[in-house]
Amino acid sequence: MSVRKRIDGWRWAGRVFLTLLLIFTVLPMFWMILTSVKSQFAAMQYPPQWWPAEPTLQNYVKLLDVTNRVGREFLLYFWNSLYVSTATTILGVAVAVPAAYAFSRFRFPGRTFLFFAVLLRNMFPAVVFLMPLFLLMRWMGLVGTHAALILTYLTFGLPLSIWLLKGFYDNIPVQLEQAARIDGATRFQAFLLIVMPLSMPGIIATAIFSFIGAWNEYVYAATFINDQDRMTLPVGIQRFFAEFATDWPGLMAATFLMSVPVVVMFLVLQKYFVKALTEGAVKA
Amino acid sequence: MAQVILRDVVKTYGTVTAVNRVSFTVEDGEFVALVGPSGCGKTTTLNLIAGLIPMSGGDIMIGDRLVNDLDPKDRDIAMVFQNYALYPNKTVFKNLAFPLQMRKLPRAEIDAKVREAARVLDITALLERKPRELSGGQQQRVALGRALVRDPRAFLMDEPLSNLDAKLRVQMRSELKRFHQDLGATVIYVTHDQLEAVTMADKMAVMSGGDLQQYAAPAEIFSSPLNTFVASFVGSPAMSLVPLTAQTRGTEVVLTHADAWELPLSPANARKALRATGPEVILGARHSTIALHKSPHPGAVPARVYTVEPTGDITFVQVYLGPSVVVVSLEPHVPIAADEPVWLQFDQARIHLFDGRSQLALSSG
Repeated sequence: MSVRKRIDGWRWAGRVFLTLLLIFTVLPMFWMILTSVKSQFAAMQYPPQWWPAEPTLQNYVKLLDVTNRVGREFLLYFWNSLYVSTATTILGVAVAVPAAYAFSRFRFPGRTFLFFAVLLRNMFPAVVFLMPLFLLMRWMGLVGTHAALILTYLTFGLPLSIWLLKGFYDNIPVQLEQAARIDGATRFQAFLLIVMPLSMPGIIATAIFSFIGAWNEYVYAATFINDQDRMTLPVGIQRFFAEFATDWPGLMAATFLMSVPVVVMFLVLQKYFVKALTEGAVKA
Repeated sequence: MAQVILRDVVKTYGTVTAVNRVSFTVEDGEFVALVGPSGCGKTTTLNLIAGLIPMSGGDIMIGDRLVNDLDPKDRDIAMVFQNYALYPNKTVFKNLAFPLQMRKLPRAEIDAKVREAARVLDITALLERKPRELSGGQQQRVALGRALVRDPRAFLMDEPLSNLDAKLRVQMRSELKRFHQDLGATVIYVTHDQLEAVTMADKMAVMSGGDLQQYAAPAEIFSSPLNTFVASFVGSPAMSLVPLTAQTRGTEVVLTHADAWELPLSPANARKALRATGPEVILGARHSTIALHKSPHPGAVPARVYTVEPTGDITFVQVYLGPSVVVVSLEPHVPIAADEPVWLQFDQARIHLFDGRSQLALSSG
């Protein structure tokens, strides 16, 4: 009886903790959405309007309207972000999948060294590499291009992707491939027809990681890109501070629109994501 | 179906030799069991035949083809794995169809062959299920089905029964044997369970430490093991091995232990003992060839009971003969207790003598 009580006590403590955590994470988002439908005047009132008295979608209309300058710029930044993030994701998966498979299945000279070398990047804060990478990009003539960002995001995203996917491949019995090869498949076909479908959750999780990482990145985007036409969203949104004497509702609306693709993607693919974290990385 | 020939097959991993110059021939339609303890190289040998790992040396022929450099897919063999290796994301039907699809058979033919294999193995009702929805025995049948859905030149099986519970294992054992007889299939079967090998195989390849110790029919391996390893590995309970010293007493040869007692040898056994490279000789005897007396008996040697293990229809008695333990079997009604002094009489026609140094069986001729 007492054992049951203790478990219940822990469960309640857990619920309380999760509730607090939920409030902590959701409240800012909630406030962001509320502010985005206020007028500039209402947003600045003190004491604050807890609930918008005259809700308006005007800020969203302005951002999505190509006929005015703000809308045109916002949509251009959005497109730039989408382009950079998608390219990072596709290239990242294309490199991480074979790399992780090789680390998992093959024994080659320098395997352990290479594997930890891949992780070495993650031991330093990203900012440490700002200057070296900038110099490198300038030397390659890539400063100011999206390629510079894509390359940078790849070097940051790949270690985690490879690590995560390797855990996945480690958990797929090698006998499945052996069976496929005996059944008439080449090594590549065995990978493509048997291993790939089984590692789909891992690949999807990896893709989400890469995409979110690239989508939210600010420091490198601010350093490498000076041309306004090529700015990505995190940098572009910054302009709301300067030009409009901090247009809070506009900024919040832009921020909300920026979070939409990530949230939608996450909701659609979350079951794979959870599967990846529980089946792949943790077990390995 | 086809013959499979291994000639001086070697597999090394760095400085470790996993398979050391193994040669044997599996005749067309034969059931050969590769047996040995864990790490003896039996599974590695099977993987070499399948082509899943590259050989370090030697030749493998399947049928009339040298397959040394062929991919597994081109060797035309089928394999059943210990963990079944069913494709978890495919239904049973698709699992069975996969080898045929890979060979680009027309759809109608695939369908017919899969249904035929399913009928033979009595798994037709399971065709639309996923492997995880099946019991261990059912998964086993599907794995077997995937192997026999096409006509391979040989079946390779890697401990296919070891994941089943004891009762199912015995049942599947007889089914596999029947399947081999009905198909006249060439089967190479890896197991660590010598009983499985003895009951199913036409021939046994006993391996240890990467070396092929003996390759013969189970009866021959049982009756004339080539060395002490084979003698102690095959048979349950294992053959008792007693290290002794051979001495000449005039015209007689006797085996002694620390001069406590002497066991006179028959003329044939005496000739064997004299062929040893030194005086050390190992006496081997199976439980059924040793008579146990409760009082001194001519030609019997003194010993002391260690434990008594009644199994129902037969009672095994472990007896200390000097420092060695010897297993003797008795009728269950014979009264006997631990620490009782007893006298053991060896059947001279059925004992085995091994060289104490080389561990090899001693022959009289």
